[in-house]
Amino acid sequence: MTSRTRHLGGWAVLLVAALVCGLGAWSYGQARGDRTLSFAKARDTALTEGRRHLATLNTLDGKSARRVDDGLRAWLDSSTGPLHDELARTRKADAKSLTTAGDTARGKVTSAALTALDERTGTAELIATVDVEVTPRSGAAGTQRKRFGATLARTADGWKVKALTAIGTGGGR
Amino acid sequence: MNSDVAPDPDLGPGAEETGTRAPDPHDGADVVRRRWPRVLGALLTVALLATGGALYAEGRQLRDTSATANRALTDAEATTRVTGDVSSALSKIFSYGPGATATTRAAAKEVLAGKALQQYAALFGQVERQSADQKLTLTTGVVRAGVTRLTDDSAHLLVFLDQVHERRGRAPTTASAQLTVVAELRDGRWWIVEIGST
Repeated sequence: MTSRTRHLGGWAVLLVAALVCGLGAWSYGQARGDRTLSFAKARDTALTEGRRHLATLNTLDGKSARRVDDGLRAWLDSSTGPLHDELARTRKADAKSLTTAGDTARGKVTSAALTALDERTGTAELIATVDVEVTPRSGAAGTQRKRFGATLARTADGWKVKALTAIGTGGGR
Repeated sequence: MNSDVAPDPDLGPGAEETGTRAPDPHDGADVVRRRWPRVLGALLTVALLATGGALYAEGRQLRDTSATANRALTDAEATTRVTGDVSSALSKIFSYGPGATATTRAAAKEVLAGKALQQYAALFGQVERQSADQKLTLTTGVVRAGVTRLTDDSAHLLVFLDQVHERRGRAPTTASAQLTVVAELRDGRWWIVEIGST
């Protein structure tokens, strides 16, 4: 009798364990298959990465040719598609003029929001205000407040900026 | 239940025998053979529990409350609605003509509440005087607006505005403004409760 009880007890424990495993798998599966969840995650990721890239694209250390080169490489890393192509095309000329000018800019995104997100095509629209602290080679530093509209695209390497427009007065649409 | 019939032929006899008989100390190999189904069962149990627990934890992590609690864009309808309501409210309260500041003031009471209403009242007192003196007309339009955070009854927005100032007899000038807005849903309507500059 004791043996049978123990025997059945063993099976019961195993059954419970199997149930726990099944429930865990079900819960995980539900979370994986949740469209709203993946959409919300994509939104948060796009916003975080978009902010970072926008700051990068407004930052350049112009103190030396090497630093300008590093800055331009960072711009390329933050961009994709048309913006990336354009930056790559003008890179040599940019490097020359930026080194000659010697100004240093540091961009900081003060506020940002996504206005649209298409998870299927992997594109998002972002608006942001950026404070750009510009330190000229000679003279006093000043801060410019800029506002931008950016189109983000999802790449294998995360969200990148595909197009960037400064939204000036008069809409800038 | 019939005690002769074990639920599993592999596990059954071994478990039964170890239970009923003392293990033979002289036959170590036999003991090991009798024990392995139980060891296997225990290992399987642990493995199943661990897998279940890990999957559940992973699912919980995926559900990460901060991402799902924010319904900005995930609830497209609510996002569009709050954006529209706040945009039209801002255009209304930041637009006025020399003789029509009372209309604007009245409109503000319809869309502003709490701290925003106080901020606005302080600001608008100056504006009213200026507007009357200088024949100033201000027209505000929303250029872009995005929702950063949205819950059932509160929303945080970033709004880009263009403001056209017209002074009688002079060319109009346009200025841009960026505001962060906190809105609350009360009685089925979105009220602006806080306005800040970015």
